[in-house]
Amino acid sequence: MHDSHKFNIPMGPQHPALKEPEGFSVALKGEKILGVEIRLGYNHRGIEKACEQNTYTQDLYLIERVCGICSHTHATCFVQAIEEIAGIQVPKRALYIRTLIAELERVHSHLLWLGVAGHEIGFDTLLMYSWRDREIVMDILAMLTGNRVNYGMNTIGGVRRDITPEQANDVLKAVSQLEERTKYYIDVATKETTIIKRLSGVGVVSYDDAVRLEAVGPTGRASGLDRDVRRDDPYAAYGELDFKVITDNHCDVFGRTIVRVKELMESYKIIRQTIANMPQGPIVVKVARKIPAGEAISRYEAPRGEDVHYVKANGSEMPERVKIRAPTLANIQVVKHMLKDRYLADMPIVIAAIDPCFSCTDRMVSIEYDSNKKNETISWATLHDYSIRWHRERGTDFTDLNKRFKAGLKV
Amino acid sequence: MSQEEKIKQELEDKFSYLSGKVNITRARRIFFSVDLQNLAEIIKFSKEELKFNHLLTISGLDEGENLSFVYHLAHDCGLILNIKVSAPKTNPVLKTVMPYFVSAEIYERELVDLFGAKVEGLPKGNRYPLTDDWPQGEFPLRKDWHPAKE
Amino acid sequence: MIKELLYILVFPGFLFVSIAGLLAEYVDRKLYARLQNRIGPPWFQPFADIIKLIAKEEVTPCQANPRMFHAAPLFALTAVITAFLYTPLWHTSSPFSFNGDIIMVLYLLTIPTLAFFIGGWYSTSLFARIGSVRAVTQLFAYEVPLFMSILASALLANSWSLVDIVLFYTRHPWYWCFNLIGFFVSLVALLGKLEKTPFDIPEAETEVVAGAFTEYSGKLLAFLRLCIDIEMVSGAALLAAVFFPFGFFQSAFLSFVVFILKILGIIALISLLRTVVARLRIDQMIDFCWKLLVPFALLQILINLVLKGVLR
Repeated sequence: MHDSHKFNIPMGPQHPALKEPEGFSVALKGEKILGVEIRLGYNHRGIEKACEQNTYTQDLYLIERVCGICSHTHATCFVQAIEEIAGIQVPKRALYIRTLIAELERVHSHLLWLGVAGHEIGFDTLLMYSWRDREIVMDILAMLTGNRVNYGMNTIGGVRRDITPEQANDVLKAVSQLEERTKYYIDVATKETTIIKRLSGVGVVSYDDAVRLEAVGPTGRASGLDRDVRRDDPYAAYGELDFKVITDNHCDVFGRTIVRVKELMESYKIIRQTIANMPQGPIVVKVARKIPAGEAISRYEAPRGEDVHYVKANGSEMPERVKIRAPTLANIQVVKHMLKDRYLADMPIVIAAIDPCFSCTDRMVSIEYDSNKKNETISWATLHDYSIRWHRERGTDFTDLNKRFKAGLKV
Repeated sequence: MSQEEKIKQELEDKFSYLSGKVNITRARRIFFSVDLQNLAEIIKFSKEELKFNHLLTISGLDEGENLSFVYHLAHDCGLILNIKVSAPKTNPVLKTVMPYFVSAEIYERELVDLFGAKVEGLPKGNRYPLTDDWPQGEFPLRKDWHPAKE
Repeated sequence: MIKELLYILVFPGFLFVSIAGLLAEYVDRKLYARLQNRIGPPWFQPFADIIKLIAKEEVTPCQANPRMFHAAPLFALTAVITAFLYTPLWHTSSPFSFNGDIIMVLYLLTIPTLAFFIGGWYSTSLFARIGSVRAVTQLFAYEVPLFMSILASALLANSWSLVDIVLFYTRHPWYWCFNLIGFFVSLVALLGKLEKTPFDIPEAETEVVAGAFTEYSGKLLAFLRLCIDIEMVSGAALLAAVFFPFGFFQSAFLSFVVFILKILGIIALISLLRTVVARLRIDQMIDFCWKLLVPFALLQILINLVLKGVLR
């Protein structure tokens, strides 16, 4: 291969470096990247359209499934917008519980990221270690909410589950355990030579570029962009809590790693505060099914950056319009900028460094049938029937089981 | 005077047609609508003078006869400016705001695909988020578009 | 004649070295897993993998050159098995020994990389091509320090024959301690040869899928896997013979056990090294080899030259 050889390689829609389908067409010259073309949309699932056809409560659970990792993020952001439109005063205790779950979610997301970053630079040991420790916080979330992901904690007007003192105790215990582990990761990430070699000077975004390209979340904060919705536009209980916004001036992937591991420490601080200051009282207020006409925009600092939901209500049980802007979408321009003139070997870690979540970004799927009909969006009921049929054709029939289950419930 | 009111004052001083139209719905939220032809100058003023340096997103709305577009601009102090413009559904033409906000590219592509807006000045590129073989003239987020039944 | 055939096909040839290679892969994988806090595979996992791969369908890309595509894995496998035949195992002698065999073993161990390059290049996939170019680029970086450090040891023994080197060090016990720098240099270079972290750049899955192996499947992939396993044993055996030439007893069985233990020790070191580091970039890898490994290898040669004068 001569140096003059220019060629395009497809990274995605299916590629080991990407955990979700997304297309990057990379123009290469030797090992150098000349340019990148990004094709998004492989994960479009029609959630915004579906929201307009369901009631607010149904939407809440649908929106929770926009993304598996930041499910609480989207649910909370959405519910905040509705509560603002309807003028609901959410009980303090509910706000604290939301904050607690939000921070636990951030902890699990950042630990997940650390592992993925390790894997992208071929350091699988870091992946194994951080994901093992991530189990601690996953267990805590399962204990508090009943689920490892898609917690279903929020409801319009509050939260659905209370937290008992014993549970709070378990959380505190887990947090001290995690804190110790995180200190170890800070040590590893900042001292291990090969990690520093692979991370520093890679994916550089200067402060000016970060402002111009509107980087959000840890990506922006690692370039010294001091923006955090939790502090700037406080929601839930953040206005009453004391925490620091972590920024860093490395402007590269190394800086992003430092921001994330340090944010973990801040999260532990916030979790301790929410548990210590959690007021007594009800956790939910009753809300009418119909939400008055109006519009609201709600922001939420997701682990990956700023999540924005815009909701317009028309006075009925269903929203007029729901618009979701996930953090990854805001960082797409930043990725393009970061990849220019870098090496191919840096590409996975540069993409991973914004902690992309393409499921959040795209929200509609179109299913193509074998017949020549135009693309269609599948309804939930059809999908449900289809799955039952699919399993039955392959010899698994849940009908009996379902009947027995229902009978068992009645007894 | 609170920050919101200061911004409102400045907007109304600069653009006479805005007087009385700027709503502060709650702390840190400002809503108003303008005519399509005034959008560019307001966005320019907001970005350059008022320092709203972050475009959160652009929401499209189907309001029957018209398509509306809400530009959500954010300030570093947490303020959000929501500027609404409307265009007739038959010919919804917008001018790109990419000269002010680079990140607008992807949001505008979304409007093109899902609402059928025509955005002038948008550079050539991959469509987002629909598939390349999506039929012409089908705009999923318009109210008169329904997913076909099986 | 029959004796020679048995040598080549059964022990220490094809059959023995294949089983040894697969067991070595098990040791490596298990250690890697335990060091990462995982349970790791059962002992028969590598065997099961190979049997599964052999039973699977073989796909040849329609744009690939079928002859080269099929020949490359066999070529590589033959080379590494041959390399093993020249290593003294249980005795201070080796059936096919001749003066200069150490050079030949080193060259035989280079052949797999070239075969991977040819196979990857002729499979015409983009990922395979990038991977194979990386493999060859890397070859030029690690091969020089590897040759220099191994030949430094031979320099002290004043012979190009593996058997003679072993005999020399048996006659002069503790002389091997002088070669420790060379051992570490060649251990790191061996990581590059085996394409293991931090030098697994040619097959970095997050960048180039599986590098040169991307298009391989079925039997051919099984051969390639086997080839890498055997390369690990052959490489470790070479290092053990050159740098730890002691523990050859009257009893052939005992010496054999000691030799296996030495190989296992080297494999354990390889697993440990690849657990604690991240993958380097190709430019960093080349920098590392030329700026760090080569000077140390030169130092080793210098030490041995001086020693040669002093000890005579």
